[in-house]
Amino acid sequence: MLKLGVGAFGLAFIIAPAAVAQEGSEQGQQLYQQHCALCHKDSGAGDPPTFPALNADDQLGDLVRIVRSIKAGRRRMPPFPSLTAEEVSSLANYIRDAWANDFGGVATEDVTAVLRGLGDADPMASVWDGVFTEAQATRGQAVYDGACALCHGRRLNGAPDDPDLRSTPPLARARFLRVWEGRSLATLFEYTRATMPEDNPNSLTVQENVDVIAYMLSVGGMPAGADELQPDPRSLSRVAVGPRP
Amino acid sequence: MATRGDRRDNDPGIEREKGLNRREFVKTGVAAGLGSGALLGADEVQARVSETGAEQSAWDYAVDIVIAGGGCAGLTAAIRARDLGASVLVVDQNFDLGGRMLHSAARLSLGGGDPVQQRDMRGESDREGFVTVAPIEDPEEVDDDIELLFTDITDWSVVDPKAQSPYRYNERELARAWAENCPATRQFLIDNYVRFSRISGTHGGGGLSRARLATCFLMLGDTTDIKAGTITAEDAGVAALERTSAFSPVQMNNATRSVGPNAVANGVALSRPLEFSAREKGVEFMLHRRFDEIVREEAVSGRVLGITARYSPRHHPETGELLQSFWRNGNIDEQRDTVRIRARQAVILASGGHAGNPEVRSMFYPALREPAFPTSGQALLGPGGQDASALIAGLRVGANLAGMQQNISYSTTFHISTRLGTRDAYTSMMPGHPTFGFRGSAGLNVGNAGFEEFIAVNQVGKRFFNEVRLPARPGTNGYPGDRGAPGRGLAHTPLDWRNCRKEWVREMYSYDHGLDAALAMNEGSEPPDYYSGPLWAIFDQDAVERNGWELRFPYVSDNGYFFRADTVEDLAEQIYAGHEFQRVPLSHLAETVASWNGYVEAGADPDFEREAEAPMNSIGTPPFYALSIMVIWHDSYGGLRVNGRQQVVDMKGEVIPGLYAGGEAVGGFNKHGLGKGHVHGYIAGTHAVEEPST
Repeated sequence: MLKLGVGAFGLAFIIAPAAVAQEGSEQGQQLYQQHCALCHKDSGAGDPPTFPALNADDQLGDLVRIVRSIKAGRRRMPPFPSLTAEEVSSLANYIRDAWANDFGGVATEDVTAVLRGLGDADPMASVWDGVFTEAQATRGQAVYDGACALCHGRRLNGAPDDPDLRSTPPLARARFLRVWEGRSLATLFEYTRATMPEDNPNSLTVQENVDVIAYMLSVGGMPAGADELQPDPRSLSRVAVGPRP
Repeated sequence: MATRGDRRDNDPGIEREKGLNRREFVKTGVAAGLGSGALLGADEVQARVSETGAEQSAWDYAVDIVIAGGGCAGLTAAIRARDLGASVLVVDQNFDLGGRMLHSAARLSLGGGDPVQQRDMRGESDREGFVTVAPIEDPEEVDDDIELLFTDITDWSVVDPKAQSPYRYNERELARAWAENCPATRQFLIDNYVRFSRISGTHGGGGLSRARLATCFLMLGDTTDIKAGTITAEDAGVAALERTSAFSPVQMNNATRSVGPNAVANGVALSRPLEFSAREKGVEFMLHRRFDEIVREEAVSGRVLGITARYSPRHHPETGELLQSFWRNGNIDEQRDTVRIRARQAVILASGGHAGNPEVRSMFYPALREPAFPTSGQALLGPGGQDASALIAGLRVGANLAGMQQNISYSTTFHISTRLGTRDAYTSMMPGHPTFGFRGSAGLNVGNAGFEEFIAVNQVGKRFFNEVRLPARPGTNGYPGDRGAPGRGLAHTPLDWRNCRKEWVREMYSYDHGLDAALAMNEGSEPPDYYSGPLWAIFDQDAVERNGWELRFPYVSDNGYFFRADTVEDLAEQIYAGHEFQRVPLSHLAETVASWNGYVEAGADPDFEREAEAPMNSIGTPPFYALSIMVIWHDSYGGLRVNGRQQVVDMKGEVIPGLYAGGEAVGGFNKHGLGKGHVHGYIAGTHAVEEPST
């Protein structure tokens, strides 16, 4: 069984502010910190087999593969449709040159060419746009109470009722928004599927996972809407987490 | 000695005696005779024992086995001894049974190939078919045996996140006996109406090599019926968000994922079944009675003959009525002050540890003599809970102690609670249980993240540490490798020197020193005690609104642990006037808040570098709030030295005939909580009945 051992503090450190950027790769490193380090880690070592290592990946020489993975997702890796060609270039440059990697630089034009082949992207939405339904949040609460509440607390504030348990990351309100700001619900969805519940990752269905996210959003004060969140990384990747508009 | 606290003595909502500010300690200690025991000189001890010797025939009760304490070790020992044919009397200082087991989460880590591990390995359900979810752990993760368990709990190579070696100095004879009795104890519990969830991980010192933890559950139903395994939502405390019951002081947890739909779990599903079984089998109980002394043939030699125990009634904080246990069959109603109870075969000490006795705590860690900080669950247990009674009485008849340094290496032993605004900060009792009134408030549990939202000040109103790092607590050693060893889960290699090589020790040394800062001397501490004093979270109305904190009953109340004022100056005055352990004015508080607001404006905190951790918010919008921050002393690891049969051993290494001990009363075995207590009780009960009847 998959055991990650990413505790509350582990996560807190993963999402800590980025270290001082190297000269010339500042944007790439910042983007890496914001979008990639959650799973692939600062060291690029990832946590195989769940999160592949990028510091020892022979296929990083394949630019098409990199661009397609970032833009359209790959297996359990969510898509990052909001990144521009320039941003994808910066990221690719950073990853190909970071740690002990030495795969050479990439040109934005080459990235643009690959992106053209992927077709047009749908517009992005926000978690504040009414992206789930009341009924879905209610279903999510039932799942949350059984699978999440013991550690993340009845109020989703990361404070377990059982004092023997250590605190965990809050799943709603200010701290949650600060930590997840700029990421998409697809990242939240796939990261949660892969790591939670900590004692039995991957044990919830995709529908249960997305219902819990709906519940988290509703507790955080985000409005419900007419349509349910779908357990589909492509559509979830178009919903960004951010502060109340 | 200018101590404070006089003003609140007449508050019926708060039970004194264990509050133990210094003045009260001297007063009640001498009057009650318990605290005074540790203070008596050698001559006085001698005189007192001789006097007892002269009265040896004057027993008030006589049974085969007398047990001090009706918690996890005591109830288990009682049933075991009764099963083997002995007459058994349990004396407990509280009004109800279960001790801290009753408010625990029932994380019962045993192992060694125990029946629940084997059940999960085969993918089977329990015999009643309640467990409907698939096993959580893969078969190889529960493929355990006694040798592996023994290796794990004596593994010198494992360090914890404080870079200490919790298992290295475990008494090997104790560890061996414990490991050998784990499977039998799990079966014993099952045979006494305890139902276990799926195995998932381990808990608190249960070893790194295999998954060994299961929790105890009952099924929600129309009636509360221990034999049928059901409990009503009201009794389980899950019918309403802010209400518990007389049956369950703590609301039960949703166990859908580890058992199945409608399962609820916590210590209630362990304690109540054992109590039910004990009463059904004819164990007798004398409640409201505090164990005082061991009676031995001679001062420090000969057989142990019995105990003395003192009436310690607990009354309802509002009505004043004598509190009653939930079930009463088997109770002996005895209200004389001190009674002498003859144990024809053996005395078993299962009266808990020392965490509730600040004077004795100083034996292990002088900083924790500060009486402002109590032990866990003190409202439930009352003044006699975790009062070091076994240690004190044992020392007086010549017992040795063991494992005095082991308190230091477990993360829940002492730490800063994230539950603010209540003295009883290590439990989650709500109104509905008769002891809630002793608590007065349930507290506001803000979690670690909440510490970003306020400043924390000491008794003179000064900040003392980076608030964000203050509640950090290191993890514990357990499967699948909660940072305990470089190889996690099944990849852990026991006894491998690489587990504690220099680089790993350095990596593990992540212990934050907020606790040390919190307990440090400050301008308000005065000789001879230099008490560091209470701690306060200070914030404003904006913080309340940012976080949606519910500052109302039952979370906070006017019990001296929560204050609200329109100005910071007034807030400081209210704390000084209203908190029982606030010995000096918070003379720096206004200046501290003003400095903090300057730091917020400048975006930098030169004192503690908070800006590196989280956004900083000014404290400027009235009303202003102060909630107590509590340091909790939860576990007791040092205690009476025992052998592998749980017999208490004296200073010469010889067994004290007829005296057994288990659970937190004993030392030399760093293993958290219930897993230790139940097996100790099982072993003690087994061997105590083999003693000759005298």
